[in-house]
Amino acid sequence: MAQATAQHVSESHTFEIRNLRAGVETKRGFKEILKGVNLTIHTGEIHAIMGPNGSGKSTLAYTLTGHPKYEVESGQALLDGVDILKLKPYERARKGLFLSMQAPVEVPGVSMTNFMRTAVTEVQGHAPGLRQWVSEMSDAMKRLRIDPKFAQRSVNEGFSGGEKKRSEILQLELLKPKFAIFDEVDSGLDIDALRIVAEGINRAEKNDHFGALLVTHYTRILRYIHPDYVHVFADGHFVRTGGPELADELEETGYDRYLPQGKSESALA
Amino acid sequence: MMTQAHQTDAAGFRRSGTGRKVLSAEQKARLAAAQANASEAQRIEKARQKDREDREKAAQKSTSPTAMSSAVSDDAATADQVKVPHFDPKHPYQFPALMPSSADRAVRSFDPSDFATPSHSMDEWRYAPINDLQDFFSPFEASGTTQVTAAFEDGTQLAAQTPANKGTSSTPVTFSRLSSDQLAHSPAGTVGKPTDLPSALEWQASKHSGRFWWLNVTGDVTKPIIIRIHGTSNKLDAIHIVITLKPATSAQVILLHTGVASLAEGVEVDAGQASNLNVTSIQQWDDGSRHLGNQRLHVGQDAQVQHNVVSLSGKIIRLRMDPDFGGPQGFLNMLGIYFADPHAYMEHRTMVVHNHPGCKSRVIYKGALEGRGARSAWVGNALILPRAPKTDSYELNRNLVLSPGAIANSEPQLEIENGDIVGAGHASSVGRFDAEQLFYLESRGIPEVEARKLVVRGFFDELISQIGIESVQKNLMSVIDRRLAHGESAAMTEVLEDN
Repeated sequence: MAQATAQHVSESHTFEIRNLRAGVETKRGFKEILKGVNLTIHTGEIHAIMGPNGSGKSTLAYTLTGHPKYEVESGQALLDGVDILKLKPYERARKGLFLSMQAPVEVPGVSMTNFMRTAVTEVQGHAPGLRQWVSEMSDAMKRLRIDPKFAQRSVNEGFSGGEKKRSEILQLELLKPKFAIFDEVDSGLDIDALRIVAEGINRAEKNDHFGALLVTHYTRILRYIHPDYVHVFADGHFVRTGGPELADELEETGYDRYLPQGKSESALA
Repeated sequence: MMTQAHQTDAAGFRRSGTGRKVLSAEQKARLAAAQANASEAQRIEKARQKDREDREKAAQKSTSPTAMSSAVSDDAATADQVKVPHFDPKHPYQFPALMPSSADRAVRSFDPSDFATPSHSMDEWRYAPINDLQDFFSPFEASGTTQVTAAFEDGTQLAAQTPANKGTSSTPVTFSRLSSDQLAHSPAGTVGKPTDLPSALEWQASKHSGRFWWLNVTGDVTKPIIIRIHGTSNKLDAIHIVITLKPATSAQVILLHTGVASLAEGVEVDAGQASNLNVTSIQQWDDGSRHLGNQRLHVGQDAQVQHNVVSLSGKIIRLRMDPDFGGPQGFLNMLGIYFADPHAYMEHRTMVVHNHPGCKSRVIYKGALEGRGARSAWVGNALILPRAPKTDSYELNRNLVLSPGAIANSEPQLEIENGDIVGAGHASSVGRFDAEQLFYLESRGIPEVEARKLVVRGFFDELISQIGIESVQKNLMSVIDRRLAHGESAAMTEVLEDN
């Protein structure tokens, strides 16, 4: 495992989204949500994506990871030059893409430990040694202040909001992706849980050196995770890019000026 | 107050010629609903009143004999006041609250001639493939081709019952086949009565050929007991198993069905006061086997019975469970799992009767169906009688249809005749894989096929882990794992292509 970490540090990867257009099939026909998204992320960079409700931030996260609900019209998402949009979700994960979900799904009867070991085995291509696995998992759980009993519980079943998000970060630490997308990782967290989750992301970033897309409504989490870039996402594409100072500006002015004239945010949703 | 309300009610049902104005259909419906509520309220009030009086009577009986006579006259006065309309079988919906319950109208008898021959028009036979079961519907002679043996889980033998060890504490459990002499002095036939034609015919055939076995628990039995029921031919056979627990005893019993059989089976379980029983019926038949069973359970006062059913293979399995209670505060926990193959039929009916106050029942059945022509039916009923206040019941059935062409029927029923209950819940669903669950697993690098297997495995593991006997749980999960590995090539590919 130490070898794998060292490998990551020495390697540099690029994730490039080119003119991505995607949407969903509705009763009234196809509805385009992503209207030409362009973004390039390198290993070690943290990009915060901020924007109003319904602007398509979550759609971007799901489209990149291959949720069956979203259809790609055109464009590419190149991970080290390979277009992952043609791959199945599990193949994207094996290429090194990770999504921390806003609302992680419950899977009754499947224990966390069984699920995580299966996932790590599939992503690495071989089963981790049992002793090494047990110690690695219990260390990661300790750092995230997760109850040891949690390993025997069913995936996300009966977890509190904080537990669900900490479980996502645990998976991040064990799966060691090249690029991670965090979809509103700060939603439903109290101050302490937010700090633990943010610390986890920072630690994983430092150890495993991934590039990150941090989707959020609020600037609060950016006090703990310092982004290299802040992007404003509105009406299906990026409308402005800046440094960390842009987040402070958004806090002051809100998103209103980025919305198309005469449209409230709910009309876009 | 009640009398007043009742007089107005009765007027509503008078026909023409009374000079009353003609009501619109809507007004009539509203009136009927109000009357139904009123008569339901009367009925509940009457049942409660009777309970109160019973309690008072019991209390007074112990204090003074003179007080009793006044209680009797009170009773007569109430009977005078509450005039419950007469139930007319020709118009069962005239007073909805007075419809007969399943306990009133269902036949219970050891005599096959009391039952009509099953047909699809009969409610309880609407799902079953009765054309393939005709031989179960007429008198037959038991072929005797089913072997019944019992041993502890670790292989040690159980003692047979002898006059010497009968009921002694040194032998907490005995197992014997009953001779016709012993049968007359055994508890066989004391737990309810057959509830359908095949079970009445099973009783007759078992009696005629001496196909009775009795597991008698008279102390605490720590090691699980396995009763192996192994079929060796397709010739129609009958067996009858009786399991009794003396008060304050405990045991874990597994009925393991294997081999090839056409079996009519009766099981009677009598769990004595404050006893603790865990009984599991596993159906792991070879292809082509048919199994009709009636399991009648009696949960004693303060007793705890966990009843598990696991149906994994066989051509036709139809099991009907008829549990009731022997006193207050009994707890019945029923779990069921079924995994139907292509062209297999599995039906489970759980007909719980709450006949004592303060009892609790839980029925949770989960099934998966795999492949074309796989069919299942679950019918659950909880009948809560007026004399069972503070009842707490819940029934749930979930079905996972793994591939196209499989049909799952799910029918939860409730007959609540008592307003004074803790709860009577039910839930039922038939569904396919949850796309969100699969995406979550896939987004962690787990391929579609593996993700589906994990979901199905989890679906079953959730219940199997509650069976409570480690070795049984392990065996069942390995059977399911084998099935899933096997299904990958056939049914699973079908699923994947279909989506």
